[in-house]
Amino acid sequence: MRWLASERVFRLIPFVLVEALFVVAILVPFALTIWISLLKWRANRPFETARFSGLENYEAVLSSDQFWLALGRTFYFAGVAVAIELVVGFMLAMLVSRCTRSRKLYTTVFLIPMMIVPIVVGYNFSMIYVDSGPLNQLLAPFLDRLGIDPRIRWLSHPVAAQWAIIIADVWQWTSLTFLIFLSGFAALPPQLINAARVMGATPWQIFWRIELPLLKPAIVIAIIIRSMEALKLFDPVVLLTFGGPGTSTQTVAYFLWEQVWVFNKFSFGAAASILLLIIFSLLIFMGVYMLVSHRRAVEGATS
Amino acid sequence: MAGIAIKSLVKTFGSYTAVDGISLDVRDGEFLIMVGPSGCGKTTTLNMISGLETPTSGEIVIGGRVVNDLEPGERGLGMVFQDLALFPHMTVFENIAFGLRVRKMPAAAIAERVMEAAEAMHIKPLLTKLPKQCSGGESQRVALARTIVTNPAVFLMDEPLSSLDAKLRVDMRTELKRLHERLRATFIYVTHDQAEAMTMADRIVVMSKGRIEQLGTPLEIYNRPATQFVAGFFGTPTMNFLEGSVIAGPDGPRFRGAGLEQPLPASLSRNSEGRPVVLGVRSEHVVISEAAALPGTARLLEPLGDATLVHFDAGEGKSLVAKVAPSTALAPGAPLKFGFAAEHCHLFDAATGLRHS
Amino acid sequence: MSRPPDTGTSLAAEAARARKRRRERSRRVTRHALLIAWTGFIAFPIFWMISTSFKDAGEWVAWPPHWLPHAPTLHNYAQIFAFGALDPTLSRQATEQAFTIWKGLGDAVLVCTSASLFALLLGTFLAYAISRFNVGGKYFRHTILMIRMIPPIVVAISILIYYAIIVPYVTSALFGVRISLFDTYVGLVLIYTVTTLPFVIWMMLTFIDEVPYTLEHAARLMGAGRVTVIRRVVLPLVASGMVVTFLFVFILNWAEFLLALTLTHPEVTTLTVLLNKFQSASEGRLYGPQAAIGTVVTIPVVILGLLIQKHLVKGFSFGTIRK
Repeated sequence: MRWLASERVFRLIPFVLVEALFVVAILVPFALTIWISLLKWRANRPFETARFSGLENYEAVLSSDQFWLALGRTFYFAGVAVAIELVVGFMLAMLVSRCTRSRKLYTTVFLIPMMIVPIVVGYNFSMIYVDSGPLNQLLAPFLDRLGIDPRIRWLSHPVAAQWAIIIADVWQWTSLTFLIFLSGFAALPPQLINAARVMGATPWQIFWRIELPLLKPAIVIAIIIRSMEALKLFDPVVLLTFGGPGTSTQTVAYFLWEQVWVFNKFSFGAAASILLLIIFSLLIFMGVYMLVSHRRAVEGATS
Repeated sequence: MAGIAIKSLVKTFGSYTAVDGISLDVRDGEFLIMVGPSGCGKTTTLNMISGLETPTSGEIVIGGRVVNDLEPGERGLGMVFQDLALFPHMTVFENIAFGLRVRKMPAAAIAERVMEAAEAMHIKPLLTKLPKQCSGGESQRVALARTIVTNPAVFLMDEPLSSLDAKLRVDMRTELKRLHERLRATFIYVTHDQAEAMTMADRIVVMSKGRIEQLGTPLEIYNRPATQFVAGFFGTPTMNFLEGSVIAGPDGPRFRGAGLEQPLPASLSRNSEGRPVVLGVRSEHVVISEAAALPGTARLLEPLGDATLVHFDAGEGKSLVAKVAPSTALAPGAPLKFGFAAEHCHLFDAATGLRHS
Repeated sequence: MSRPPDTGTSLAAEAARARKRRRERSRRVTRHALLIAWTGFIAFPIFWMISTSFKDAGEWVAWPPHWLPHAPTLHNYAQIFAFGALDPTLSRQATEQAFTIWKGLGDAVLVCTSASLFALLLGTFLAYAISRFNVGGKYFRHTILMIRMIPPIVVAISILIYYAIIVPYVTSALFGVRISLFDTYVGLVLIYTVTTLPFVIWMMLTFIDEVPYTLEHAARLMGAGRVTVIRRVVLPLVASGMVVTFLFVFILNWAEFLLALTLTHPEVTTLTVLLNKFQSASEGRLYGPQAAIGTVVTIPVVILGLLIQKHLVKGFSFGTIRK
């Protein structure tokens, strides 16, 4: 095939194919979701009985306490979990990067949690939290002294259940922040640090004034990536707590799932998902804006 | 073996003109070097000859055929790239054989041709190795072997030596000349290094900003540069330039400027009178001796071993460089006398840069 | 850190050096202690799961809990790997219908492999176009990943409506036959392909970008057409990249839960959904078989993950490494 003609083929066909796929599999469903969200319809009645009802469903979602609670809870979970993951991941990366011989070994081991299927993680922790589980066994000496029956059903207490989810998330995803920071530490140019040492700086000064600023891009990236994923929290909630006890561990993703798959409130769910999409898009734009202005500031400073 | 004719070749990228209408005749079997600073359009021109870029307008004729519509693989060319472009996942043998395999040559014939080429480039022991196992010079020769194995009429080379260290570069220059001698093929070679151009070319094309500044043999280019640009591009250290104008003197035209006066060759035509000009004189033609006419003050001496460069002030703040015998004894700050002969003066129009003769 | 004293007496210098050595050693010990503590924290749940998978029913929720099974058994594994109908006495609750792993395993392998392959082929094709021709404009390669920003639950709801309602509606209107994509292999593979395509494009882009275009120029000059060039020059050089990408995407699909839960079952049941079924099916959880399934699900992923670990480390640096 002649080169230039082939260029046209190779250029257009994949583009068209992929775009078509996205349109068919993403755009069209979205358009339909918006349409459905404007109808009043429960799935146990046939589709044909649905009536147009405008923004009624949106009002219902926005006025639903449960929705806002779930949303707030999701931010709470994400915030706490990500904060812990950042700090722990940072410290682990710092410690590991100072090791010489065992670095590879620790890195390999620390990466394993990230590779475990999330649902399995949820299951593992459910075993640990059970009333006759090892967690209670470890705490038994302390609890006995306080006169409390050590066979605590952690997942039956709202606050404890929330922390159970947070800990499961931390267990799995600290690996990712660890990975990002490890690369960041590995990328620190040794000449800069050596120059500082020659000029007489203490390790603390070097860390605070040189290493930390150089690691800022890594920190920003870790925050953005982890926050985005943490806000979608779903798998551990399903396996560990079912959103319970009551609704105390419902994340917004779980809430939506429940509405559609358990209660079959399709239109409500459609409206809620559109609203969620809008909220997420706003967050993303904010994040991208911050990232771009941060980068511009850095480039401006160094130009 | 074929000659190449380029007729009014133009290449634009959007609003940017890379090549602005150049016409050139490359003689069959000659070693032509296109030289110029980066961005002058030499690589783009080469890419149009090879077919990797399509001209916006103009014609390319190879061996009498207009090749504009032909695929690069159909033009009977061989090309060596700046980064050599050896296929890293194939052995040296496979690299060399690639062009023949694509043309569906039978395996026995391929083996024979590859062996011949490897023999010619002295790389037979490397045939089973991978490119990353070869040194810089060896990789160069593999790239050359890959080109000669298809017996092209024309060889195109895009700065092939720029990635080598200085010593290797000099060695490869000789190899390339020898190869050219043997094959008697047309070589078109692109470089930004004027020393390379001077030592290797039969003829040189000097390009700047998409245009041809001058086409000629190395000596022509050096001794009679057609523009100020060409004059300044060739020769180390750079030619000395003085601004001024031409006045009519008692025994012929004279140059006045930069606080001095200098007689010019009598053959200079009258149209240069009265216009702002630039006088050029090469550092090896600047004479420093007590018998010279013009005064100056030495500033810096750079001993090269076989000569010494004297940077000195020539009045009105103008700074010149003279290349003198190594035994010349001068101290920074010492006064000196300098001069140069009329026939060593080059005169260029201040506005157009063209030579006045 | 105090500077070592000037060479006064050599004795003082010697003492200072010894102090420094001790300080460094204690620092090293602390460092390793902390790291090992974290290793313990990581290892514990995994260890517990593997241990439980070898426990007999009586030991699952024994108090105090048995760290290692007192009477290790392969019962759980036998149960999940059994063929055909099951002996009801094998399960803890006689009324409970125990599940075997075969359906989940088979479906997961089928869906994950096909979705990953489709995504790989399509994505590599597009990545080549983006790398060589700048298809889609300057920022396309950055916006491609934006698709992943959509919360999966939103995708699930939209796709559910699409697969279960709209598609049957349309096909019955056009062809007179109600074809639903809900709970079908095609449906799940389709959505998995679409959601992992951005990753494939992003990863293959980095690999294809590393192949210099001059190689293709050189091949073209020697008379090769573009198809030959891609086949002989580009593909061999990105082959290992394709393997890594395939494995990465395979792992993503393998671990995927939300979409599988919402869009399939029981016709199509992936392993993640199967595991969850054990959970929700009964009050008395079948911890043993669950642990066994968990172990079986986890091991291939960990092995694959370790294989591509080097590339993960490189890929997740996100440009924090400046060249």
